[in-house]
Amino acid sequence: MKLNHESIEINAGLMIVLIMLAISIGGLVEVVPLYYIEDTVEKVDGVRPYTPLEQRGRDIFIREGCYTCHSQMVRPFRDEDMRYGHYSLAAESQYDHPFQWGSKRTGPDLARVGGKYSNAWHVKHLVNPRSVVPESIMPNYPWLLKTELDYSDIAARMRALKAVGVPYSETDEEYQANVEKFGKEIAEMLDINNAEKNLVKQAEAGNYDKDPSRVTEMDALVAYLQVLGTMVDFSKYDEGYFAEFR
Amino acid sequence: MAQGAVAADTQYDYDIVKKFAIMALVWGVLGMTAGTYIASELAFPFLNFDIAQITFGRLRPGHTTMVIFGFGGNALFATSYYVVQRTCQARLWGSGLANFTFWGWQAALVIGVLGYMNGITDGKEYAEFPWYVDILITLVWVAYFVVYVQTLRRRSQPHIYVANWFYLAFILATAILHIFRNLAVPVGLFHPESYSLYAGVQDAMVQWWYGHNAVGFFLTAAFLGMMYYFVPKQAGRPIYSYRLSIIHFWALSFMYMWVGGHHLHWTALPDWTSSLAAAFSILLLMPSWGGMINGIMTLSGAWEKLRTDPIMLFLITALSFYGMSTFEGPMMSLKSVNALSHYTDWTVGHVHSGALGWVAMITFGSFYHLIPRLWETRLWSTRLVYVHFWLATIGIVLYIAAMWVSGIGQGLMLRAFDDYGNLAYTFIESVQFMHWPLVVRALGGAFFVSGILLMCFNVYMTVRTAKQEQAALEGKIAAKVAQAGA
Amino acid sequence: MFEWLSHMENTKPLALVIFFVTFVGILLYVFSGRKRAERLESYKNIPFLDDEEGASDRAGKVADKDQDNG
Repeated sequence: MKLNHESIEINAGLMIVLIMLAISIGGLVEVVPLYYIEDTVEKVDGVRPYTPLEQRGRDIFIREGCYTCHSQMVRPFRDEDMRYGHYSLAAESQYDHPFQWGSKRTGPDLARVGGKYSNAWHVKHLVNPRSVVPESIMPNYPWLLKTELDYSDIAARMRALKAVGVPYSETDEEYQANVEKFGKEIAEMLDINNAEKNLVKQAEAGNYDKDPSRVTEMDALVAYLQVLGTMVDFSKYDEGYFAEFR
Repeated sequence: MAQGAVAADTQYDYDIVKKFAIMALVWGVLGMTAGTYIASELAFPFLNFDIAQITFGRLRPGHTTMVIFGFGGNALFATSYYVVQRTCQARLWGSGLANFTFWGWQAALVIGVLGYMNGITDGKEYAEFPWYVDILITLVWVAYFVVYVQTLRRRSQPHIYVANWFYLAFILATAILHIFRNLAVPVGLFHPESYSLYAGVQDAMVQWWYGHNAVGFFLTAAFLGMMYYFVPKQAGRPIYSYRLSIIHFWALSFMYMWVGGHHLHWTALPDWTSSLAAAFSILLLMPSWGGMINGIMTLSGAWEKLRTDPIMLFLITALSFYGMSTFEGPMMSLKSVNALSHYTDWTVGHVHSGALGWVAMITFGSFYHLIPRLWETRLWSTRLVYVHFWLATIGIVLYIAAMWVSGIGQGLMLRAFDDYGNLAYTFIESVQFMHWPLVVRALGGAFFVSGILLMCFNVYMTVRTAKQEQAALEGKIAAKVAQAGA
Repeated sequence: MFEWLSHMENTKPLALVIFFVTFVGILLYVFSGRKRAERLESYKNIPFLDDEEGASDRAGKVADKDQDNG
């Protein structure tokens, strides 16, 4: 068979092959290198996987569709620096499955919301946003305070996350590697074998919703919000360092 | 021609086309109503009513899924099954498998949307379906591909008409996109949640490679296939230039896959990726406009049809909106413009000028052509088509204008500084500013919904009349047979 | 020549040349030759082939080729 455009026009099989070729190149060129180019993700200290409680909070963040109105990506502009803080690094979302950079800011960016407001403010705001920000158009989330957190599947969740590359530990060897990488205190929180215990412990210690008798979804969500953007200590690096990776 | 002697409804499988067409309208009404409702929630937050299932964050994925995959998807199934049969002059292959694509697709939509409302979601925009629905969709898609290609192979002449190329590219691209975006590890075999295989910056790039090509192949290439069949048919004249359509096809298929990165300007994605994406976005203007010109020029020499034929009005207006949004898109992919427009309502307005102006309008026009032919009758009311056209157009104009005001306004407010170098506005002040544009946007949506409701009524009356006519005809024949027997 | 190809940083211009040549090739193919033009343009009538009315006169225009419908 002669290979010219006419044979493409009349041969469905050949056309399928060529369409596949035409549509594959763009994706391959842009996605694959991101895995191989070392500069894609900066080397910084402090970024760690989420604790069991924070991860459950993140699950709730996704469940409620918060990403439809809030981004988690501060861009390198003067106004965003003044409003939100240092621009986001790729390293800061390296354990985010899926990413939550968002696409729309109906509400403000949340990449560095951690530590900006008190736990009490977050609880009040989530239950009724207009009680603290009268002009807000955010929905109320009263059920977060009423619903007890289901953490029976936390170990299974961490195992699934481990399977996609998050360094939670199950064996002693993995635990030791985490101790070396993140320090003993954090490595303990990343241990799947103690997941439930760690979760309850953090919720009780944090007492996010001011109700120590039980762990609610509010506890988890506020724990997650309070850790956002706080892992990297930017005073340790000078500005030029991060520019190398852009 | 031998087929000429056989009635169209026995030569072709119209049942499956009818089913998909009706479901497209049903999902269209549901999805657009949901859209108008969530738009109203932004303007008047009390409408969330503290009911978890209908809060903005849970209903918005429902809206996008119902309009893209429900309305758009069903319309594509319907028209592709119709076009492939008519341009190949062959009956659809495998009616059982085609029926599986119908029921599988509806099931995926119902399970998906009810799931989001009850908190089961993957949290990846336009790919929120949980993992078990992803598997169902994959099966449906394989069946779709097989039915389509096998029907192509039954065609009565060697050349494959260009509309089918576009449908084929859409089927193939959607398969690749769907599979790679949804690679994930489930929490458990009986657990609805899963975690994406990719993380952070890689996940972001895969997301917008997927997200933008959902626009490129699902909402553009496939609807261009629709355009390349229904515009010439309704105009009664062949497409302006067949050779231009070949160039259009290859350039579009090749270039679209590169442009997703422009959703990630100024983020932690490496600069080269988003710059490359922006370069291709600008290049993409050329094939897009080539296709638009090809469609519109089909009417060259018969412009008076725009005055006499409201269906033509829908089709040509759709092409004009296609031209407008494929100009706006490359412009918004410029880094300097994107710095202002990204994260604001401008993006939302841009998407809707494509989704309402191009996708929905070309579908409405094609359906007004298709429905009477499926039921072998005439449209119940042409005047209602005119009314629908104006309701839809007013709705779109209100929507886009409101989003320009709100998006550009918010973008400018957030980057404004006062004389001392402090931020001039707080975030919440920009939210306050957006109130009136958001009200107008919801109003625009209401116009658009009333238009499609009117269309549903018109279609219902058309089908009812067709059935009455058929019953009358059958009655006459029966009477004659009875007479002859006596 | 082969040495030039083996350098990673030369892939970009190389890719550009390949894509551009392919594009120009398709353009030349599609828009050159009167006979080819006639053949390609005749396909635009395919949607009208199955019209009940006036099908036969248009159908004649479509190039009749007995090739395998693979």
